[in-house]
Amino acid sequence: MKASLDRAEARLMLWRGAIIFVCIVMIARLWQLQMVEGETYRIRADRNRFRQVDIPAPRGVIYDRNGEILARNRPSFSVSVVPGDLPKTRAGEPNADAERAVLDRLLALLAQEPPPLGSSSKPTASPTPAAGRIQSTAAITTALQIQERQPWVMARADIEKAIYEGRLGGAYRPIEIARYINEATAFLVAQDAVNLPGVVLQLNPIRDYPSGSLTAHLIGYMGHIPKEAAAEYQAKGYAANEQVGLTGLEATYEHELRGKRGRQTIEVNVNGRRIRTVGQEELAVPGHNLVLTLDLNLQRVATAALQEVLDKSSGFTKATQGVVIALDPRNGKVLALVSLPSYDNNLFAKGVTAEAWQALLSDPDLPMFDQAIGGQYPPGSVFKPIVAAAGLQEGIISARTLLGDGWDGANDGIIWLPNQYMPWDRSKDQPFYSWNHKQGFGWGKIGVREALAVSDDIYFYQLGGGYLDIFRGLGVDAIGYYAREFGLGEGTGIDLPGEGRGLVPDGKWKRLNYAEPWLTGDTYNLSIGQGFILVTPIQMANATAVIANRGYLYRLQLVDHITDSEGRVVRSFKPDLRREVAVDPAHLDTVREGMYGAVNWPQGTAANARVPGIAVAGKTGTAEYFRDWDKDNQADRDAKGNLPTHAWFTAFAPYQEPEIVVAAFVANGGEGSSVAAPVAAKVLRAYFGIDASAPRPTASPAPTRTPGPQAGR
Amino acid sequence: MIASALAGNEVLASWPLRQAGFAVVGLGLLFLMAAVDYRLLPSITYPIYVLLLGVLGVILVIGTIAGGAQRWLTVGEFLLQPSELIKIGVILVLAHYLAAREAKMESFVTPLLGILLLAPAVVLIFLQPNLGTALVLIVIAATMFFIAGLRWRHIVVLVGLGIAAAVAAWEFVLLDYMRDRIWMFINPSAALAADRYNVDQAIISIGSGGWLGRGLFRGSQSQLHFLRIRHTDFIFSVTAEELGFVGAVVLILLLVFLLLRLLRIASMARDTYGRLIVSGVAAMIMFQMTVNIGMNLSLLPVTGLPLPFISYGGSALWTMLIGIGLAESVAMRYRKIEFE
Repeated sequence: MKASLDRAEARLMLWRGAIIFVCIVMIARLWQLQMVEGETYRIRADRNRFRQVDIPAPRGVIYDRNGEILARNRPSFSVSVVPGDLPKTRAGEPNADAERAVLDRLLALLAQEPPPLGSSSKPTASPTPAAGRIQSTAAITTALQIQERQPWVMARADIEKAIYEGRLGGAYRPIEIARYINEATAFLVAQDAVNLPGVVLQLNPIRDYPSGSLTAHLIGYMGHIPKEAAAEYQAKGYAANEQVGLTGLEATYEHELRGKRGRQTIEVNVNGRRIRTVGQEELAVPGHNLVLTLDLNLQRVATAALQEVLDKSSGFTKATQGVVIALDPRNGKVLALVSLPSYDNNLFAKGVTAEAWQALLSDPDLPMFDQAIGGQYPPGSVFKPIVAAAGLQEGIISARTLLGDGWDGANDGIIWLPNQYMPWDRSKDQPFYSWNHKQGFGWGKIGVREALAVSDDIYFYQLGGGYLDIFRGLGVDAIGYYAREFGLGEGTGIDLPGEGRGLVPDGKWKRLNYAEPWLTGDTYNLSIGQGFILVTPIQMANATAVIANRGYLYRLQLVDHITDSEGRVVRSFKPDLRREVAVDPAHLDTVREGMYGAVNWPQGTAANARVPGIAVAGKTGTAEYFRDWDKDNQADRDAKGNLPTHAWFTAFAPYQEPEIVVAAFVANGGEGSSVAAPVAAKVLRAYFGIDASAPRPTASPAPTRTPGPQAGR
Repeated sequence: MIASALAGNEVLASWPLRQAGFAVVGLGLLFLMAAVDYRLLPSITYPIYVLLLGVLGVILVIGTIAGGAQRWLTVGEFLLQPSELIKIGVILVLAHYLAAREAKMESFVTPLLGILLLAPAVVLIFLQPNLGTALVLIVIAATMFFIAGLRWRHIVVLVGLGIAAAVAAWEFVLLDYMRDRIWMFINPSAALAADRYNVDQAIISIGSGGWLGRGLFRGSQSQLHFLRIRHTDFIFSVTAEELGFVGAVVLILLLVFLLLRLLRIASMARDTYGRLIVSGVAAMIMFQMTVNIGMNLSLLPVTGLPLPFISYGGSALWTMLIGIGLAESVAMRYRKIEFE
């Protein structure tokens, strides 16, 4: 008994030792964790609970010159499910039945038609603020309709799968199951929150373009940062998932529109729920607003007029693409810039579907391509005023110089140019036709004003390329010099990405590209805006502005001024004079008179451009081009053997002190006088506020400074 | 009295009121046990043990399923955990058995029969499956054998057999999740962040406590729920975070003081039976405390053993308080022998 007691006592002593040992080990470990490494763990604990969150800055709004909104932000709601917050059983396991009930309820709400606006409990909430405007433009064309965004809801099976998979990963990471929910439906979901545990409603601002396709080429759209530019944007402080302007003004003025994101530190719990805000919040600075020089009404009229022409076209001259540009020649401000076909940039605001994107890309009419600034075409006769100005400035002709148009009874409307290598053999002469050769009438000897008014090709062949030893022409280099003076062959500097430069050809260019010398015949073609020369419609519009304002080439501008979110002007754009064109204003007046004649004289080609009460001057162009629709490697020709043509018309008005330049272009449109000129006339009528139903005048009142034309020739 | 000082420290549980209720009932049980002369217990020891084994067998079959393990017995509103009460049963049975065979400790038959007595409880608990409690039972039994005077040569043999059994168990008996937990402890860097989450967060909680802690109810780890299973397994981490080094050390010292008091009762007990009961209770408390705090401090692998007196759980608290009651019952009756 005693022995066993002693033994027990000894063993109890051993045990006490063990207890003390364990105690010391634990306290030592506590010391290590809390005292020695405490700072590290304190930081890790803070990293657990603090999050830096960005406060998005509202992007700037874009207005037209009259304050109409062209781009703004609008709320879009998305619905997410947090798997970890869905109903649970008492033991913390997912409760399949209750979960199904929540999903049933949620999907039923999302599928519900939003209550009609009038009876809505929130009468001020209008999910279609642009409705009124749609109706006013609905008459134009269906292509201009702005479609209400369709809500997107994930399929039931996919939701359940996503929830199941979400549980395996981060059960508290929200799964987005519906997007672009309108306000009324979002309100229903919010009201029913009690019955929808684990359902989260989120507000994401998205870009809204009330004028949609009407201004899509100008405004552009936004999208995710392109991979190739990722580093560049990152350096500017963009987040990887941020959206940036990809094209149009959204891209050009990205840095102005964007604003500055705010930041705040919040404390979150393990579910990522915000508990409170910590410290000083760094406020978001809203982006700047753009006020454009654009006049949306004029844009609307121009689009409608052009669309009408496209719709009416058919057969050999079936036209699908066209451009209308309106400028203020006094300062280079753009009033309207239309390129058809267009697209609805609202598609991109919510993330375009693959099918819609493919459809836009594969459309042969290139709706995504802004032809006004990017399309390059032969100018045809609208180039002639530049050649005329060059001839006058170089002293090749004077305002009184008369040149024959070959209409001598034998060579009606044809000029024969000797063969380059066998000039003595006149039987090898090459014929150059005037457009009126087939019409069977001519003008005889005429001056430069009349040549412009009637668009006499043979006059300009001789002016540009000369004729034998009888008449010395300008030559390709002089024409090229003046073409460049008027802004061809280079960008207009307009604040839009994607501008084309066009092509002003010369001898060197032809040798490099065709391995052939420049021939007089090439100069002949160049003189009437055919052959190798290519221009963009906006270059042609700006060149016309130089003639209209007697010699000033301005950089084209779309933005009038920039304001901050409070409406204070932070930057305003002054007219940016690029150069004074090296042509005497007196010579430009002579050219202007010719363009006046084109519209107002009896033989003028552009009577269709007359506007009651306003003196309009203009120049038609009918530019032949190579087309091969039937794929026989031969240029298409119509029944009479004519090549297909682009229709051009450039105009300015009022004649005395021009306020507006209009350029209209219809690809494959046919005659400039019958197709393009009426479009320009409609824009001018709208600009000057003249009722479209007013009778077309037979002639405008003759401007006082214009010498009387030799009518009746 | 020691027990009552500790029992109320249940402020951090999610259901503190409920736990307070448990504590009140538990204290009643404590006084009841203390009042009853422990020497009267042998007469009902075996029936109670068999009854508890029977209950364990039943819940294996029909028990409420919770947490992947069948551990609960629904009694009215409460979920009763028989695996907690079986600890008391084992202590009483082995104390009675070993006290009766005190003279025959020289024989190897004594520990073998003791093991046979213990085996059904261990097997039933393990099948639940509940490795932690099964280990507690084995440790309780081992300690009681040791205090009862198990001979060193028998200890060597039994430890050898134990190691062999452990190796066999690793291969054939342990479930995957048990193995994973042990591997995770041995080689923490190989484990996935998600698997180590609880352990990591416990360390962060403890480490961020500093000297005096972040204040009661102000620990970011526990209040923002980064730390999981706060009210049971990781309650020590909560204490260390909110009350700091000082608080945690005080808690450890209180438990150590309690253990030393229990060992004093054991050494002063009037008979072997009483000494063994107290030893069993002390072994139970010490093992659970060591494993739980060791797990919190990343010194030992994760096992779901609650911290005695502190963790939330009615059955566990009652078991501890009944154990203290038994010890008090022994303590209240040892003076008599002192005078002899």
